Amino acid sequence: MFRKRGLPTGKGSLPFYASLSIMTFLESVLIIAQASFLARAITFLFEGAQIKEIGADAALFLLFFMLRTILGRWKQYTAERFADRYGARLRTKLVSSYFHTGHLVARGFGTGRLVTLAIEGINKMKGYIEIAIPRMVSMAFIPALIVLYVFFIDKISAAILVFTVPIVIIFMILLGLAAQKLADKQYETYRVLSNHFMDSLKGLETLTYLGQSKSHEKKINHVSEQYRKATNKTLRVAFLSSFALDFFTSLSIAFVAVGLGFRLIDGNLTLLPALTILILAPEYFLPIRQVGKDYHATLDGQVAMKEIESMIDLHEEAQPIQNPLSNPTDIQLDKATVHAQNTPILKDISFSWSGNGMIGVVGPSGAGKTTFIHMLAGFLDPTFGRIFVNNSETNTLNRADWLDKIAYIPQQPYIFPATLADNIRFYEPEATDDAVWNVIKQIGLYDFVQQLPNGIHEEIGEAGRSLSGGQEQRIAIARALLSNRPVILLDEPTAHLDIETEFEIKQLITRIFKNKLVFFATHRYHWMKQMDYLLVLKGGQLVEKGTHEQLLEQEGTYHQLFMQGRVSK
Amino acid sequence: MKEWIMPYIRQHKSRIALTLLIGLLGVGSGAMLLFVSGYLISKSALRPENVMMVYVPIVAVRAFSIGKAVFPYLERLVSHDIVLRILASMRIRLYRLVEPQALFFRSRYQTGDLLGVLSDDIEHLQDLYIRTILPAGLGVVLYAVVISIFGIFDISFAVMMLLLLGVIIFLIPIVSYHVNRTHHITIKKRRNQLYQQLTDAIYGITDWRASGRTDTFLQSYHAQDEQLVQTERKIKSWKHLQDIISQLVVGTSIILVMIWATVQTGQGVFEPTLIAAFTLMLFSVTDAFVPLADAVSHIPSYRDSISRIKKMEENAELQVNSNDEPLAFIEEPSLKLNNVTYHYPGTSTPILCDLSLTIPVGKKIAVLGKSGAGKSTLVKLLAGAIKPDSGSITIGEQTVHSGLLSHQIGVLNQKPHLFDTTIGNNIRIGRPEASEADVWKAIEQAQLSQLIHSLPKGLDTPMLEMGSRFSGGERQRIAFARVLLQNTPILLVDEATIGLDPITETELIQTILHAASDKTIVWVTHHLAGAKNMDEIIFIKDGAISIHGSHDKLIKENAYYKELYFMDQLN
Repeated sequence: MFRKRGLPTGKGSLPFYASLSIMTFLESVLIIAQASFLARAITFLFEGAQIKEIGADAALFLLFFMLRTILGRWKQYTAERFADRYGARLRTKLVSSYFHTGHLVARGFGTGRLVTLAIEGINKMKGYIEIAIPRMVSMAFIPALIVLYVFFIDKISAAILVFTVPIVIIFMILLGLAAQKLADKQYETYRVLSNHFMDSLKGLETLTYLGQSKSHEKKINHVSEQYRKATNKTLRVAFLSSFALDFFTSLSIAFVAVGLGFRLIDGNLTLLPALTILILAPEYFLPIRQVGKDYHATLDGQVAMKEIESMIDLHEEAQPIQNPLSNPTDIQLDKATVHAQNTPILKDISFSWSGNGMIGVVGPSGAGKTTFIHMLAGFLDPTFGRIFVNNSETNTLNRADWLDKIAYIPQQPYIFPATLADNIRFYEPEATDDAVWNVIKQIGLYDFVQQLPNGIHEEIGEAGRSLSGGQEQRIAIARALLSNRPVILLDEPTAHLDIETEFEIKQLITRIFKNKLVFFATHRYHWMKQMDYLLVLKGGQLVEKGTHEQLLEQEGTYHQLFMQGRVSK
Repeated sequence: MKEWIMPYIRQHKSRIALTLLIGLLGVGSGAMLLFVSGYLISKSALRPENVMMVYVPIVAVRAFSIGKAVFPYLERLVSHDIVLRILASMRIRLYRLVEPQALFFRSRYQTGDLLGVLSDDIEHLQDLYIRTILPAGLGVVLYAVVISIFGIFDISFAVMMLLLLGVIIFLIPIVSYHVNRTHHITIKKRRNQLYQQLTDAIYGITDWRASGRTDTFLQSYHAQDEQLVQTERKIKSWKHLQDIISQLVVGTSIILVMIWATVQTGQGVFEPTLIAAFTLMLFSVTDAFVPLADAVSHIPSYRDSISRIKKMEENAELQVNSNDEPLAFIEEPSLKLNNVTYHYPGTSTPILCDLSLTIPVGKKIAVLGKSGAGKSTLVKLLAGAIKPDSGSITIGEQTVHSGLLSHQIGVLNQKPHLFDTTIGNNIRIGRPEASEADVWKAIEQAQLSQLIHSLPKGLDTPMLEMGSRFSGGERQRIAFARVLLQNTPILLVDEATIGLDPITETELIQTILHAASDKTIVWVTHHLAGAKNMDEIIFIKDGAISIHGSHDKLIKENAYYKELYFMDQLN
């Protein structure tokens, strides 16, 4: 049970294990002492002693009993302190790895999973350290020491206690496997049944529109009933392993008691050792039972720990910057290839550009437009190929001096739960209110902000005033504008907007980002005439490049896509 | 808190009594195992002539050892069964509560996941029974039984034990609850804050990185987390203290019982063999008392769940406009809006103001407007989900109400939910009695037959299995087939093509228009794809219709429309 795998390591862990072991050893001694003195007191009273004669024994029992409790709590306290320190260290590493591992969400880790891992995952791991580990140490020492002591008093009882353990373990494993098999068999039904209610609530709007929401109640009732029956069936098997644990340990105590009885009758044993053994027998099984009961929490904790550690391992140390990039005027990609989950998303992209301009990244859905923008934003590193910025080579754009130069505006920009002004000056927290007002005028939000009760200090985002998609997009543009970054990356900024808003934003973008280097991924072809240069992606490859007019003349992929978009209307 | 607990306890009182009884038998068996063992070895130490003298205790020891395992097993089964029954009733209750408000969640709650949270809350309340109510009940019943047993022999000793054990049963849990309550609330609050902050940070990760301020964030996050750990530590320290006090009570009780049994022996009430029996028994009994304080300390966490559900009960003011009158046959289902005005409760300006519109049978209308202009409100009004403040909406002669959904009106909404069941069930969900032939006809019309034939399990393919393989367009087609199967004369389409790439979008629009060629269609859309194929186009602005006409007319007469169209047409 005491496996090396999944145990916390690193600073402070060795002293921790050592002190746990020492304390547990002491605890075992106290358990034995406490049992002996209680047995003495009872035996003497049984043999007719006066109450005051056993005063010392009773007091020593209580003393050792309390010392054992206090030591147990101290052991727990030590484990908690260690778990806190270890948890804090791992959490800091984990959260900072989120920030430095490029765009995790772009790599397919959901936001929910990352947050849950940093909060619940760390908690589970701490729970495992503070509860499971001390108990595993207890299991390693206490039963062994107790049974050793019992062995010197009565070999047969010791033998019964020792033999019970493998039986318990074998049955727990067998029953555990049976339960697992049953659970696997009905996993699918079970999952559907248990998710049904959540699924129904999530689909409530749809159910209402389909006119079925009233009659669906019956179905929920029916499914709940099925779920209950299925669960009961599973539990009947699942609880068997803890039944086996209880059954064999208490049967073993019964055998010990009966055996002691026989040997007492035969006169081979006296009451004092017999009583001591009887008091010690439940203590012998206690650590084993506790570990058995915690088995699942232990597994959860170990899984969480492994996941956290592998996430931290993803964290690539930011490379030291040898030749810091000056304002990029010259960008070159040489056979850049990007993989995600071992499949190439972009293949052999080669292209170069100097100076400002608006570069359109176009192609059908799934062509790799977003991946291309993500690579430029430093979220994803090319697996092969080279990148040159101002003629100096770099293998990643995930570096501070590049990130300083870019502003990235996705389809749905993120609005922080903060004031409107703080959202706009997010990259430049030092910017004055006047500067903020200035960009607000430029992006056409002046009238809107003026009528807000708190002006630019109005709270927006999740908890505050909610904004329309167009307004959110304008704020993202304002953010980029205020920071005065030379490179702007836009990923389908208008795809989800209504046409009137799109029309306004289009005019805004073409006007405002005029003197910048803009990369613009879109499948809305009306933008094309505004672009200085186009990169046409298809199936992850750069199939054509050139200006709108050049590409139309070529009558290749671009021409086909463009005409398709046009004719279908 | 009571309204979400007491009714269920009352409803299942006999089952709960059964659990407590079985639980008692379980603890009783454990206690008796040690009691009889103590008696057995004491008796054996007197070296009876014949083993038969201790035959009964030998059998009893084995029987109790089996009982000690069997009863807890049964208790767990029965208590889980009760909880699942309660869960079922609570789910129905929650469903009844939210069902009438279904269409208002998205507009009212940004994240829209509130329903998921509520469902989790209900699940969480299961633990209240398993971890708190049932163990606490068992503890109190056991306490009463133990005290009564002492009472049979000696009233004054029983009172003494009543007070002493009362420390573990009542005093410590109550003090513990009050000491920790504020800590639990603080922890909950801090944890939610951390959740929120980290979620925000991850959503805005690019902005944080680009701002070069990640260290500021990490530091403040770390500091906040430390505060949380400090509070957690306070609870843990209290727990250590509480445990030490409890054990002191247990140790003292053991000695007192030992002395009491000796005194009883001296008075000739007991045989000396019972000294060991009583003393050992107490070890086992007190084991069952100690977890009580823990059980009670969980209560604050349930309060939160219950208060969220109760909040839902309070804001039930927005309700679907339902009407139970029998459905009459409508000969000519033309849609008419007469001077319709609507404003959402709690807002001052109406979202739609004095709107009039007539849509003859079979006409196809596109509705445009900026977000927030009232397009979705119009769909809700037409679907009968909400009642206009003034004016009327009729289909033929009948005033629109939600009962007409699925009979007269079909709705293809923006994000139709595909349920976690088979494709076939998903299509049938709006009309479960539909024949196989009707289902296939709908599939044919939605142009899905090729896709479904290509699946090995066909219509029986679980939706989830395919979740990632179905594209956005295919998912919408499944939802469309479902609406088509309802065979309604009127079809409302609410931004059904948003998020699709232009080619998929155009294909879907064509499928829908083709399949629904004889239906009246009101199509709320955010751009002009397919506009040419519609009979009329209206733009809503400031609660009223600002542009109205056929595509051909508008392209000639309206410069703004022309400009928008040419921008979109190049698409």
